Amino acid sequence: MTAAAPRTQLLDRGVEQAMSALSAAAKKGLGDPALAELVMIRASQINHCAFCLDMHLKAARRTGESEDRIQLLGAWEETEDLYTERERAALALTEAVTVLTDGFVPDEVYERAAKHFDEAGLAHLIGLISVINGWNRLMVGRRVPPGGYRPGGHQP
Amino acid sequence: MTTTANNDRKTSTENSPEYAPERSPRLAWAKHAPEVYKAMVRLDAAAREGVDPKVLELVKIRASQINHCALCLDMHTKDALAAGESVERIIQLSAWEESRHFYTEKELAAIELTEAVTVLTDGFVPDEVYEHAARHFDEAELAQLIAAITVINAWNRFGVTCRMAPGHYTPGQYK
Repeated sequence: MTAAAPRTQLLDRGVEQAMSALSAAAKKGLGDPALAELVMIRASQINHCAFCLDMHLKAARRTGESEDRIQLLGAWEETEDLYTERERAALALTEAVTVLTDGFVPDEVYERAAKHFDEAGLAHLIGLISVINGWNRLMVGRRVPPGGYRPGGHQP
Repeated sequence: MTTTANNDRKTSTENSPEYAPERSPRLAWAKHAPEVYKAMVRLDAAAREGVDPKVLELVKIRASQINHCALCLDMHTKDALAAGESVERIIQLSAWEESRHFYTEKELAAIELTEAVTVLTDGFVPDEVYEHAARHFDEAELAQLIAAITVINAWNRFGVTCRMAPGHYTPGQYK
């Protein structure tokens, strides 16, 4: 079976630059590259974005993330020892903010995150979740195939 | 119509049941992440280029309905009304499949694509939805439309997560 052809590779230069700037600002403000990759992988799993999964799995491995933590991310709630409380709070927030269609972001999820992140950290974390949701939409919508990303290359 | 939503609410409160109190926002995210906010504004400007303003407001309202973003609904319904959109077309938007005759085929294709790109969690963007859109928009327009849908989805996430309060927007406030 061959991979589906991309629908369009077109992306306005201004949109691409603004998206990259947005990603960079959110990541820098969060100041935790390992957590950023976990958040981006989890959102991309939920949104079924092959391009983003390929990219962020490679990026996570390159930064030395453990294979266990990558593989079990989809079941983080059932894996007590692999992720810190702070990471678990961020992952719970990632899921709630990604699946808005089921209704809002529960108070307990928000408050759990607010216990582990100060206001600036939280604002940047929400920014990062929003921007990876953005990339997921741009890539799934245009059906950009996975595999094009090389670690250390373009960094959305 | 010259009254604001706030005045309307005040008047109603005087003669009818008391409304629930307004909840305060969880987080002033733009204040705590100013660079992220600036980048969002730049992204918004880049993504709206080349998209028909009427279609754009319908797209923004529909995505905000699906994502339940009160602030974005407040903003984009008011902007749409101020730009001359009809109350009927705004009201019918959440039931557009049953009220297709309120919209052009091109608008319907854009709304359909908006739903598919907004609800990614149910799985992908169906070929027929994409192809329907591709019959009404050329490739560059389609790329911009997807970008515009992406951007309102991002605003929705900030609005809902930070629980930004609706009711205070006046049309054109951020333009």
